[in-house]
Amino acid sequence: MSKATLDGAPIAIEDAYQHAAKILGGAKFPVVAGLATDAAGARAAILLAERLRGAYDHLASDQIFNDLDVTRSFGMFITTPAEARARADVVLLVGPGLTEHWPALFERLALGEPARFNDAAPRKILWLGPKRNEAKVEGVEIETIAATPQALPGLLLAIRARVGGRPITLNGAAAKKIDAYAATLKAARFGAVVWSASAIDGLTVEALQGLVTDLNANTRFTGVPIGARGGASGVVQVGGWMTGFPPRTGFGRGYPEHDPWRFDARRLVDSGEADAALWISAHGGEAPAWTRDDVPLITLAPAGAGAARGLYIEVGRPGETHDAVELAQETSSFVLRRATAPSEAPSVAEVIHAISARFSEDVPC
Amino acid sequence: MLTCLSGGHVVDPVNGTDGVGDVYFEDGRVVARPDGRKPDVTHDVSGHVVMAGAIDIHSHIAGGSVNTARLLLPEAHRAHKARPAATPLSTAGWSTFQTGRLYAQMGYTTVIEPAVSPQHALHAHLELSDIPIIDKAFLTVLGNEPFVLGSFRDNESPNVVQDYIGATLEATRAIGIKCVNAGGVDAFKKNVRAFSLDDVVPEYGLTSREIFQRMQRAVHATGISHPLHLHMNNLGLPGNVETALATIDASQGLRLHLAHVQFYAYGKEGKNGFSSAAAQFAEKINSSPNVTVDVGQVMFADIVTISSDVMKQFNSLPGGRPKKGVILDAEGNGAGVVPYSYRISDFFNAVQWAAGLELFLLTNDPMRVFFTTDHPNGAPFTTYPEVFALLMSADKRAQWLSRLPADVVALTNLPAIKREYTIYEIATMTRAAPRKLYGFEDRGSLGAGSVADVAVYKTNEKDRAEMFRHAAYVFKDGELVVRNGDVARYTRGKTLHVKPEYNKTINKRLDSYYEDLYGLRRGMFRVEDEALPASQVFAEVPCRS
Repeated sequence: MSKATLDGAPIAIEDAYQHAAKILGGAKFPVVAGLATDAAGARAAILLAERLRGAYDHLASDQIFNDLDVTRSFGMFITTPAEARARADVVLLVGPGLTEHWPALFERLALGEPARFNDAAPRKILWLGPKRNEAKVEGVEIETIAATPQALPGLLLAIRARVGGRPITLNGAAAKKIDAYAATLKAARFGAVVWSASAIDGLTVEALQGLVTDLNANTRFTGVPIGARGGASGVVQVGGWMTGFPPRTGFGRGYPEHDPWRFDARRLVDSGEADAALWISAHGGEAPAWTRDDVPLITLAPAGAGAARGLYIEVGRPGETHDAVELAQETSSFVLRRATAPSEAPSVAEVIHAISARFSEDVPC
Repeated sequence: MLTCLSGGHVVDPVNGTDGVGDVYFEDGRVVARPDGRKPDVTHDVSGHVVMAGAIDIHSHIAGGSVNTARLLLPEAHRAHKARPAATPLSTAGWSTFQTGRLYAQMGYTTVIEPAVSPQHALHAHLELSDIPIIDKAFLTVLGNEPFVLGSFRDNESPNVVQDYIGATLEATRAIGIKCVNAGGVDAFKKNVRAFSLDDVVPEYGLTSREIFQRMQRAVHATGISHPLHLHMNNLGLPGNVETALATIDASQGLRLHLAHVQFYAYGKEGKNGFSSAAAQFAEKINSSPNVTVDVGQVMFADIVTISSDVMKQFNSLPGGRPKKGVILDAEGNGAGVVPYSYRISDFFNAVQWAAGLELFLLTNDPMRVFFTTDHPNGAPFTTYPEVFALLMSADKRAQWLSRLPADVVALTNLPAIKREYTIYEIATMTRAAPRKLYGFEDRGSLGAGSVADVAVYKTNEKDRAEMFRHAAYVFKDGELVVRNGDVARYTRGKTLHVKPEYNKTINKRLDSYYEDLYGLRRGMFRVEDEALPASQVFAEVPCRS
């Protein structure tokens, strides 16, 4: 049985659903935000946003757009972790904190072992801009270039220039290192660059994809993106097939419109354009980033992440307390995650269905 | 509830029907005229054509690649109309919801998505379950993965790949097998940039010819109805008709389906070294009864190319319109998504448009030539009504030809072709032939026992496009879902799949293959009931025997 609170005080779950339906059904422009949930939760949330003529956003949208804006303005070379593991003879890691964003990175890509194809030649690992001590991994030899995140685009562009045989302004040891990197990348038979858009910005992503594009003129090179938190990659996919658009999409005109500025949940709430918010954070119970506290708020989060303000309804953790379909980093495909510690806590989809069943008749189906 | 469609012109090639008559259905199935019973509902459809619901055999409507295209092109699918109250997301541009609505409005009731890699089967099913009204299915793509190539290289028993196909069909719940640029997608990972029928895949020592032939035999041996669905080498390249002709010659007398053949109907004549070779190709198709083809007609529109032929898609990147794209090298097969725009003023595009129509008009058996635009590669499926109109009217074609560059007109036979498709031939191509191609026993026909998927079009000889664009009535499983070209209600269609017998011992070997090569549990990719929405309903399509 789910638990619920109103401004921190327990209320009956039935009253919570009723109250949530009243808040959302009565709002002129509600925003469904956070959206850290599984495929079924995202689907229910997007249908809800459409029905209410509101908008939907994801808590990691800034990171989502670091990748997606490059894809839709420039393009993207990508591969799956499985294929990179089997085939990549050169792996270029870019940016700090990669193993925080994907703890299984080294194991999943088997970076300490040779690639299976390409004659099982030893794998060469490069890391541009790791955190201090991050590139010290037992059993894996890594060629590093130290760099701050701000310096990464410039370095990537310098490497790209050297790959193309063009001069750069760096000299001395720095230039030597860049040249060595360029030579290793060019010698790759099937190289892969690994990055996390949670650790580097869009400019860096564009710079590294530009480098990959140039490398493909003469050899094969591709990329392994690390998805953002809160099930971001899966939510982007669900939004894609349901509306054609990723998060930051609104339905105010009765059809989906995508605008990363207009439908930024933080901006919508802080500016007062949204007059109610449904905040979904089923994995970690992250709090919203907006500052305004007078907009009616409904929070769906797991046990222990209850909200002191507004209405809180407990939900389960996807793949932990209930079976869930999520886009898996290790396969870059949707998979079924079976519950590891099943509980009675409802899924996000179940809670949204319960709320939706209590709308007054004025709300269209 | 007994429903009667009364007095329409019934066109049902499966039963040889082409004349005024009544169609009855009850409880979702077509029934023979019941003796002594009055229908509960009668629709007077005099002045209308009554056909079974249409079946699209090859249209990219769902899955990871299609979704990549959506996300790549936010500028391409803005919606402009508010949605009707009862049909959520039905105007969301290029959404699953809109896909079902638009197909139903044209009288289509079954659509096959042709390119889902086994690793993305669950994704495809999630999308398919969000496509309302129509029934759907997908082909899964095999033939470039190390398992198959290794088995062929090592000259293992053909049973190995046959069982592998059986296991994959079961795990993915697909309806058939597609093979894309056999060996070429793997070769591209080894930096091979061009790959033809007799080129050899590095490390495996196999030619594309050997791979597709063995895949063809293995698919045949599984007993599934749909033959190997082949995307040949050299798609889109000048002179590639030679590849197509050689592929047919290599087809061993076994059934073989060649996909979107318009993209292979090119010669090297003329000052641009690019011409239509459709006449030569059509002749070959006519004389090869084991071969079926779908056309992949080009229309002048902004489109996006979606293909598992990663090599071809990579080579298309510089010509993208606009210039951007996504290239995915994946386990075995991959995907490439590159936008494009066909322009009537563009010499090459105009040749492509003409070559497609020539193929339609110079082939003589609508049971073996299928109506597709390879949506969205040749044109969006929403252009089907215009294509029907072009097939049915030489005058209409002449009007279009007058807008083409003169040097193109000189290079095609199209002006001289006076053939006009009849309604009966259209129904054959879009109903009876797909029924046979996929082994459907319950659709594509208005015979008693068929599902009551029925399309009714108001006869309009002046404007065939208008006739096919907005069906007057569409019934899905006997329910009225479209009236006067508008969706009246959303229903849930079924997902069709095959489940041939196979030797289950292969599963153990495949499990260790995945574990060994990818460090993954193969079961992760299996489509489980618990992963699917409760509304997902499956229906099994029988095998041949």
